[in-house]
Amino acid sequence: MGVVEDTEPPLKRAKRDETNGFSSSSGNSSVRGSSRCSVTDSSLGDLMARPLTSSSSSRGDDDDTTVGSKGVIKKSEFVRIITRTLYSLGYGKAGAMLEEESGIPLHRSFVETFLQQVKEGKWDESVVTLHRIGLLDEKAVKSASFLLLEQKFLELLRFEKIADALGTLRNEIEPLRINTKRVHELASSFIISPSASSGLGKENVSSRSKVLEELQSLLPASVIIPENRLETLVENSLHIQRDACVFHNTLDSDLSLYSDHQCGKHQIPSQTVQILESHTDEVWFLQFSHNGKYLASSSKDQTAIIWEINADGHMSLKHKLVGHQKPVTAVLWSPDDRQVLTCGAEEVIRRWDVDSGDCAHTYEKGGGIGPISCGWYADGKGIIAGMTDRSICMWDLDGREMECWKGQRTQKVSDIAMTDDGKWLVSVCKDSVISLFDREATFERLIEEEDTITSFSLSNDNKYVLVNLQNQEIRLWSIEGDPKIVTRYKGHKRSRFLIRSCFGGYEQGFIASGSEDSQVYIWHRSTGKLIIELPGHAGAVNCVSWSPTNLHMMASASDDGTIRIWGLDRINPHNQKKQVQGSSSNGVVLRQCNGN
Amino acid sequence: MHEKKVRNISLWAFLLRGKIRLDLLEMGRLFVIDLQGETYSCKHCHTPFALTDDLISKSFHCKHGRAYLFENVVNVTVGEMEHRIMMTGWHTVADIFCVCCGSLVGWKYEIAYEKSQKYKEGKFIIERFKVLGPDGGGYDMNEDEPMIGSDEE
Repeated sequence: MGVVEDTEPPLKRAKRDETNGFSSSSGNSSVRGSSRCSVTDSSLGDLMARPLTSSSSSRGDDDDTTVGSKGVIKKSEFVRIITRTLYSLGYGKAGAMLEEESGIPLHRSFVETFLQQVKEGKWDESVVTLHRIGLLDEKAVKSASFLLLEQKFLELLRFEKIADALGTLRNEIEPLRINTKRVHELASSFIISPSASSGLGKENVSSRSKVLEELQSLLPASVIIPENRLETLVENSLHIQRDACVFHNTLDSDLSLYSDHQCGKHQIPSQTVQILESHTDEVWFLQFSHNGKYLASSSKDQTAIIWEINADGHMSLKHKLVGHQKPVTAVLWSPDDRQVLTCGAEEVIRRWDVDSGDCAHTYEKGGGIGPISCGWYADGKGIIAGMTDRSICMWDLDGREMECWKGQRTQKVSDIAMTDDGKWLVSVCKDSVISLFDREATFERLIEEEDTITSFSLSNDNKYVLVNLQNQEIRLWSIEGDPKIVTRYKGHKRSRFLIRSCFGGYEQGFIASGSEDSQVYIWHRSTGKLIIELPGHAGAVNCVSWSPTNLHMMASASDDGTIRIWGLDRINPHNQKKQVQGSSSNGVVLRQCNGN
Repeated sequence: MHEKKVRNISLWAFLLRGKIRLDLLEMGRLFVIDLQGETYSCKHCHTPFALTDDLISKSFHCKHGRAYLFENVVNVTVGEMEHRIMMTGWHTVADIFCVCCGSLVGWKYEIAYEKSQKYKEGKFIIERFKVLGPDGGGYDMNEDEPMIGSDEE
């Protein structure tokens, strides 16, 4: 790929270069040439400054002069791919100039001729030249010849030179003895109708460039330099940098070529940008809508609130959902974000319309049985709930009970969810066991943990489950195939409460969690490394949610009755002014907080 | 402004030892494990602590009368470890408190220093006075029969 590796300890190499001067016996034993071989900091311009003496030896493909401090990049290859790039960017003059000045032609003369002949449609000559290039791979030569002759055949057909075409097929293509299927196809074109052979395609000038493309893939890269080779190398390098960046939380459009990409913690939302104080008691749950435009929160004060996110990232209260007579343990968005479900603790489930803020339906089961947890069907046309009598109930939107599963479970189902592809019904069925029920195949897989499970969350791609344990550990399980643990996250505190955690950030590469010590914890998902702890709340943080559309926005809900919105650490004089000017309506107060 | 308050469980527990004012406590959304079967539960808030199936011995003793040794106990928070001298020797124990109301329920044996006492490690003591029995009944030490040879203090 684009990664250069150390072939020797750098110090050793540098020393040798110094003592070298103009001699040719450096670390690269096969170096010829009268000038210094390892170009460390000098740019290509410097190299050009000593043109003739250095380039006189750098002719042809067998030269081993290298560029770069590690001595891994062959100069001739390097120059040729740059030339190639110049040509494909449309800078023909610059390309030609580079070929001349460096003395390194893009292609060997035979190859140049060959390409020219293909472009002009001189098929017979091109086949001859092909053999003169001197490729080692017999098969490649044959396939390339076949391609050229096939094109010749089709063009002959096009111009209705039937006899010639037939001759080509018999005497030139067939003896190659490859790709007999295609030969039969071509032969059959006589039977169908010679003039209808246009269905076989490939007869005009633009199709010749297609032939060129296919030749490129057939012949080795050193013969015809692949197009876009430099772009590919650079992209590979960027990918590697991005994957190595532990804090990576930026869009690809932010990647730059000028320096190695390293996000740094400043790309993680770590600054309180807003505090929402409309709840009058502990806030137990919150969640961003799927489209990232709204935030819903629910509280011990028996209400849920829907917040709207304005263009500048500021939150304002849209609706307060009043009606429950018990603390609201969860508020969940429908797949289309137009409705929410709220779960009153061991009371009832209510469905609300987001636009109007009205309660559309109440779901209850008599006999003193109430819901502990609830969720939406993947298609948004039904409700699932875990009840106090340890059963799982399913209703359609109008409240008709569709199914009710009893028995088997030894715990009140503290958490339940359906994956958004409708495949799995995930629920806590025993203290330390999560059931993954395949709805189609109707069989069950189990996540068997070592300790009591308090809550879980699903990843967006439905391939992972994040499990919160009673012993203060969070574990990531993969559920493709047999469930297995992937990573563990530790550091936060949990001893009495139900604390929730979530996925978030670029490609859900981070895990965030609340904690009983009033801080928000963020880990790097693949390594399990704790990245940052965010103080600020004055009570246990019960739940966190990371915006699915804004990589840099996160919300946390706390026992101190507030919701904090976290964003990037931006020192923006304009923002500060806005905050100082006071609060907006709807009980949302802006506070200037620099964290603690 | 909002200061960083680190929730130090043991400090909180110490302050509330013996006090069970529900309204003074921030509750949060408690995670309470449900026990099925015959259980011993908190006499103030009825949170279940242990199954009768997990009862190992009834012959322990504390200053409020009888105490029971259990294999496993749930819905309690464990306080800080302390060294205590008991009738059977030195032990390292940690007090346990109801997750719901915070009342002191008993203690957990972390380390026993006498070989004969090692069997207690990792097990829990619940003071009978602090819980309701499986039949819902309480306990009054004054109405109890005198114990012959108590095990613990």
